[in-house]
Amino acid sequence: MNAPVDESYSQRLARRFSRDALALTGFWLIILAFVLAALAPFLANNHAIVRVADGQISFPVLRSLEPIEWRFLINVPLAGLIYALRRPLFRNPQRGGLIVAVVVIVVQIALAFVQPYNDVTNDRTRPATFKLMPLIAWSPLESSPDALVGPSWNHLCGTDSTGRDVAARILHGARTSLAIGFVSQVIALGVGVTFGALAGYYRRWVDMVICRFIEVMECFPSLLLILVIIGLSDSQNNMIVIMAVIGLTGWTGTARLVRGEFLRLGGQSFPQAAQALGAGDLRVILRHLLPNSLGPILVTATFGVASAILLESSLSFLGFGMQAPTPSWGDLISEGRRFIDFAWWLVFFPGVVMLVTIMSYNFVGEGLRDAVDPRLQVK
Amino acid sequence: MSAPLLRVENLGIEFGPADAPVKAVDGVSFAMAAGETLAVVGESGSGKSVTALALTRLLATPPARYVSGAIQFQGREVMTMPAPELRALRGKQIAYIFQEPSSSLNPVFTIGYQIREAIEQHRPEVRDVRGEIVRALDLVGIRDAATRLGDYPHQLSGGMQQRVMIAMALACQPNLLVADEPTTALDVTIQKQIMDLLRELKSKTNMAILLITHNFGLVSDFADRVVVMFRGKIVESGPTAEVLRHPQHPYTRALIECVPKLGQKQRRLKVIDYAGIN
Ligand SMILES: Nc1ncnc2c1ncn2[C@@H]1O[C@H](COP(=O)(O)OP(=O)(O)OP(=O)(O)O)[C@@H](O)[C@H]1O
Ligand SMILES: [Mg+2]
Repeated sequence: MNAPVDESYSQRLARRFSRDALALTGFWLIILAFVLAALAPFLANNHAIVRVADGQISFPVLRSLEPIEWRFLINVPLAGLIYALRRPLFRNPQRGGLIVAVVVIVVQIALAFVQPYNDVTNDRTRPATFKLMPLIAWSPLESSPDALVGPSWNHLCGTDSTGRDVAARILHGARTSLAIGFVSQVIALGVGVTFGALAGYYRRWVDMVICRFIEVMECFPSLLLILVIIGLSDSQNNMIVIMAVIGLTGWTGTARLVRGEFLRLGGQSFPQAAQALGAGDLRVILRHLLPNSLGPILVTATFGVASAILLESSLSFLGFGMQAPTPSWGDLISEGRRFIDFAWWLVFFPGVVMLVTIMSYNFVGEGLRDAVDPRLQVK
Repeated sequence: MSAPLLRVENLGIEFGPADAPVKAVDGVSFAMAAGETLAVVGESGSGKSVTALALTRLLATPPARYVSGAIQFQGREVMTMPAPELRALRGKQIAYIFQEPSSSLNPVFTIGYQIREAIEQHRPEVRDVRGEIVRALDLVGIRDAATRLGDYPHQLSGGMQQRVMIAMALACQPNLLVADEPTTALDVTIQKQIMDLLRELKSKTNMAILLITHNFGLVSDFADRVVVMFRGKIVESGPTAEVLRHPQHPYTRALIECVPKLGQKQRRLKVIDYAGIN
């Protein structure tokens, strides 16, 4: 195990992580899930991707996109493009900044004009000279006459009780579930690490206050707390509220863990040695204590993603989660539960997808934990 | 003596509850000139490390309390120094070699990386940082320095860790090096090598050294002056030769007698008789 000469923390992380086959598989599966979710309208839709009729070519799928989908599908690649071109662009920082600002503003103005288009035509049945349909030729909300039929070529994962295509619903539901799992954990991690670090580093009254606060937070059954907050916020369809609420109620475990790690590491002399070399509080926390406590933090964070996805499904089940039209995986499973005796596919496919996602996160978490600690031998 | 590099006056540090304090350091005063080597000797728990840490206010408060004293370094008062100035003082002006090498290095960074950070922070003018790191490691006798840069602390022996710590402290080119038992984990040959190195650096750069040790051999070889600490107080101080030849305080006498001398037959090692002191 010969490390390249004076490699940095992130280089070592990447090197060791990429040797862990399981973690790497999990990582790419998660990326794949996010890409599929982002491209859901192009994969499951009853609008054709390309349609040629009456000598005219059209792209009906584009007209079925919501304004928010346009913003996402334009802005994410735009950000990637700017990042990829950052070197040539910012060789002259002023000119680069100006170009980027103009492009971004023009694009945002253009996006503001995108109208929601309620197109109820169905390209599956509409005649055309040529048409290229998405892989799954059904929209998630579209009912077919065949309710509760099992998997077939027409409906890859079967249909639900109102004849909606389960595969299409899983794909579109991925957006809700993945976003909630990821964003809420980023929030929980940020809050938990901040509070835990403050308590574990400054101790004394800071620790006292934060610990009492954590205990108060933990006194409330979190589901109840979430229900109250969502109830009060009167924006039940707002995904951001749900993410924030799950994140802001789920940080206490992380905070305790970080605090404990900081207290443990504070007993060793390297933080003091760092101070003796002129490091300030922030530097000791960020460069010395945090990197040394990252392993367990990452593992709990990935478990947190799983529990956030599950928590969202409990909320949906109680009618407080994301409401239709966008079903989350949790919704699909709780809807399917009623028919489980004879329509196994309603629960099976969303369940498998959820299981694979959650396991991928856990593999990534464990891979990162092994990668951050140089004392652990990588396989 | 010209204006001292460091002047400590009536330093008092306590631990524990305010109504029943442990006076770890009690009214300690001493001064050091630039380029001077001062040895601090004393038994375990006599307050040597606490005094050393207090020089740049490194003791965490609590548990420690600075109850009295003034510390002047190059004419500036350390006790009331604002934090940014204090950070600039640490490492660059006063560098430490700690007593416990094994837990003084950050476990998750390579040693090359850690030395690099020290150099980049305190000597931004250095161009060839890598060459400087290798030189620093070479200097403390780590062989194949260039290939060991990528090692993590746990891959080194205790003695090598200590040498890395020393390399890191020296890489900052401080005016005062506080060495808290810098050679306890090292074997005798390396110990000699390190002390020779310190001596050489001292003569070249006019670096002052505060050497904390139990080893009277080192004291007599190395120190210009000695301070003897006993239960938080300085009980004796003076030029090395004088203190060693004519120890005034009974505790110093006992301490010197406890050191076995080569070529001298002795049935049993002497043990300090505390009843006779005070
Ligand atoms: N963090 C602390 N909390 C409480 N008491 C402390 C703390 N650090 C040091 N002390 C006390 O201060 C006194 C002096 O300790 P110090 O570490 O300076 O001894 P020392 O002379 O360096 O001994 P040694 O030769 O064993 O290193 C001891 O009585 C010790 O118990
Ligand atoms: Mg000590």
